[in-house]
Amino acid sequence: MTALGSVQLEAMLVTLALVTLLSDAFRPTMNKRSIGLGLAALVALVLLYSFTLQPQTTTYFHGMYRLDTLSLYFKRLFLVATLMVLVMGAEFAERFESGVAEFYSLVLLAATGMLLTASVNDFILMFVALELVTITFYVLTSFLRRQLQSLEAGTKYLILGALSSGFTVYGIAYIFGTTGTTNFDTLAATLKSGTPGTAFTLGMLLVMTGLGFKIASVPFQIWAPDVYQGAPTPVTAFLAVGSKAAGFALLLRVLLVGLLPVSALWTTLVLVLAAATLLYGNLGALPQTNIKRLMGYSSIGHAGYMLMGVAAVNALGAGAVLFYLGQYAFTNLCAFLVIIAVTNVTKTDEISGFAGLGRRSPVLGLALFAALMSLAGLPPLSGFFGKFQLFAAVIERAQTDWHYYVLAGIGAVAAVVSLYFYMNVAKAIYLQEPEAGAAPIPVSRPMRAALYFCMVAIIGLGIFQRPLVEAAVKAATVFQLK
Amino acid sequence: METLLTIAVLLPLASAFLAFLLPAKKPGAIRALAILATGTSLTLTLYIFSQFDRQNAGYQFVKSIEWLPSLGINLKFGVDGISMTLLLLVGIVSFCGALVSHEIHDRQKEYYILFLALTTGISGTFCTTDMFFFYFFYEMAVIPMYLLIGMYGSLPPGKHGRTKEYATMKLTLYLTAGAVLALIGLLAMYFAGGKTFDMVELKRNLQLAEATQKWVFACLLFGFGFLASMWPFHTWSPIGYAAAPTAASMMHAGVLKKLGAYGIIRLALPLLPEGARHWANLLAILACFNILYAGWAALTQKDWKFVIGYSSVSHMGYVLLGIATLNVVGVSGAVLLMFAHGVMAALTFSLIGFFYHQTHNRNVPDLSGLARKIPFIGVCMVMAVMASSGLPGFANFVSEVMVFIGAWSQGSTLFRVATICAVWGIVVTATYLLWAVRTSFFGPFDEKWNMLKDATTPWQKLPYVLLLVVLLTVGFCPRVLTGIIQKSVATIVPKVAEVQR
Repeated sequence: MTALGSVQLEAMLVTLALVTLLSDAFRPTMNKRSIGLGLAALVALVLLYSFTLQPQTTTYFHGMYRLDTLSLYFKRLFLVATLMVLVMGAEFAERFESGVAEFYSLVLLAATGMLLTASVNDFILMFVALELVTITFYVLTSFLRRQLQSLEAGTKYLILGALSSGFTVYGIAYIFGTTGTTNFDTLAATLKSGTPGTAFTLGMLLVMTGLGFKIASVPFQIWAPDVYQGAPTPVTAFLAVGSKAAGFALLLRVLLVGLLPVSALWTTLVLVLAAATLLYGNLGALPQTNIKRLMGYSSIGHAGYMLMGVAAVNALGAGAVLFYLGQYAFTNLCAFLVIIAVTNVTKTDEISGFAGLGRRSPVLGLALFAALMSLAGLPPLSGFFGKFQLFAAVIERAQTDWHYYVLAGIGAVAAVVSLYFYMNVAKAIYLQEPEAGAAPIPVSRPMRAALYFCMVAIIGLGIFQRPLVEAAVKAATVFQLK
Repeated sequence: METLLTIAVLLPLASAFLAFLLPAKKPGAIRALAILATGTSLTLTLYIFSQFDRQNAGYQFVKSIEWLPSLGINLKFGVDGISMTLLLLVGIVSFCGALVSHEIHDRQKEYYILFLALTTGISGTFCTTDMFFFYFFYEMAVIPMYLLIGMYGSLPPGKHGRTKEYATMKLTLYLTAGAVLALIGLLAMYFAGGKTFDMVELKRNLQLAEATQKWVFACLLFGFGFLASMWPFHTWSPIGYAAAPTAASMMHAGVLKKLGAYGIIRLALPLLPEGARHWANLLAILACFNILYAGWAALTQKDWKFVIGYSSVSHMGYVLLGIATLNVVGVSGAVLLMFAHGVMAALTFSLIGFFYHQTHNRNVPDLSGLARKIPFIGVCMVMAVMASSGLPGFANFVSEVMVFIGAWSQGSTLFRVATICAVWGIVVTATYLLWAVRTSFFGPFDEKWNMLKDATTPWQKLPYVLLLVVLLTVGFCPRVLTGIIQKSVATIVPKVAEVQR
């Protein structure tokens, strides 16, 4: 495969984004919904096309870019997320005053950045990909221009994001200065021959700061609830599913490929961060009454679970993180689809607005319930098996290092706590009666299709885990772990 | 035969999916489907029981489907004497539960889907021989239980000042807390046993150091103890049953609760013999607290369902005491008691459900002389109370005697004292049950209960008669079950006995 061939998926998305922008210049009156649904259909075609690509062992662009099993796994994941976010955008579009086409093209550009992160094999490209994602999100989060909350979210995200980008570049400079390379493979080879000094460790910590911000792990998580709450809901979903997965794609590459030889330097740190993130996210979610804010805290908690798998530094853990991200995408997208459909009618993000949803719209009620129970990790839903594997990975590591039993214990506590706040939403859906005079909530056909797709994935992957587990295990072979 | 067992387990779940496709406007069809599915499941179970090789102590009718080879997970079903007994229990109780569910009028479709899913969750746990699926089915009961209680339950206001939402949340959180605790222990055994979830292989391979066994056993004991309502983790239980609809109370008190004790017998005892020896004394002490503390708590209750709820916590004490003896008689007694108590609890809860549905009041002092108006229910209730108090002729008597013999013959002073406590517990049980049944069913008839209707049609009587017949049959010829239970228990306990020597 040629170098240009290796970036064909990204090229397709960029083309779509540009064509969307241009079409707006020529046909500004086009239906807001139909652009989104049309783009979603095209992204679906790109997704199908991605299955014809074969993983490559060589690197491209002077060792900066890879198209291995791991890249393809993540690229497909991002394409699914983009597809769903476009469907959500179509449902949500009525709430935008103007610039709907720009919205869709920004989503596509962010998606391009995410697809790039899946293939990163060099710190320079990592920074470029990261910025492409983050800068588009600055605009997307504040897209509801007249809403104070949206603007606040955008500003917060901008300031903290810029700060963390600064840290990242600073860290890359230190790493380059001490090892003389920015390429992950060369870096790993250099580190094998000898451990560099404090300046290198500082650089490593600074890079981890930048990535910690992306995945919303403690201590860089403060932005998440505010931004999740304020951003337009499709953007929140994209942040929770796409941006977080992009962060993990980079974190896995950096830690488990580039910095694997010095894993002793960072495992304890990741272990402590995982525990702190688990507790912060899940305890913080307890008093929330706004569903989007709740999802913000919940996403911090889930970052904690996935960090458990990273901290384990074993093949089981890496595969578990990949599986978790895969099922987490379907689960979260399902939840956000319902949130959009419901809030379009109720005009409130408060959990009390979901009272009696099971009666007002059985399909929405069931979909949100299934998504929440999957997030809580109950069988027979996909989140259960995700958590099961992560716990297994931690316990495997605990066989040689008892500290990991403590981490597993904290994970167990967090699981019970999280069940409480997810069940509280479930209570509103099924146990409470709708307000008097509440009308049934209409569900459009594309929305219904997307919901059924997600529900089949959540329940299907919960019972027949094998296809996704095998894909994840295969993708995780990229890391040379036992 | 192998396939029949798998069908018996999975049929309710398959019917739940089928019911999902049926229109909600036809509740009659969905109810018929639920009765048919649980009835067929029961028939299959009875057939399997008739074909069960009574000389064979190991797993029979084993069927294995490769599920996830990369982690060593197989969907594997098989029954031995212990699980056969409990599978029969699930079959009987779920069938009767479906029959008495006619009291549900709102959102029937969801109700039966949840009920059927719950049934498969429970029978799957009893029948699988793969540790992963054990946990999978075990946790699968959480979602249906939460919704069954929350959506269809009722909790009359009382001194406790709680709502059914509170009750169902508490129950869910306690169960999950126990389950994740147990999960850590199970995974530790998985890695120590050479990365296999197969219980048979684990039993062969697992060699854990004594210190490790101690804490892994603690994880399993307390983890499963939550569900077995072991003192002091029992507080979810009475209020949970009180708030649940009739069939959910039957399933929960009758079978679901037994999953906890079953987990200890199936996984903790055979795989961690040294851990068992280490914790046996504490378990016996906790069991006494169960029996006496919950018994006294039941004495002060006024609500019928709270009385029976505490009573069931108290009875789980006998089961735990039987397990703590670590000898064949005691553990077998515990298994038989799980069966007997399951049937008895289901019977009692279904009877309470029958009159509560009409009276909308189950406060014992408010009821009086009901037997005059509903003699059939009254007679059944008296029988259930006699069974519960351990009168000879009922299965409960045999099993409790086995537990006492097992505990006494264990020999240590602690267990002798525990046996005395347990025997005293029977007196306590008889006190509150006889008070409750005398007050509400006999005495002067209160005119306001004139509207009560008795069970008249055979369909209405069937569940109660069936449960009573089972109790009496096993009470008069316990060999039907004790034979196969003891054979299988004998393969679990010797390892423990070896360690003790």
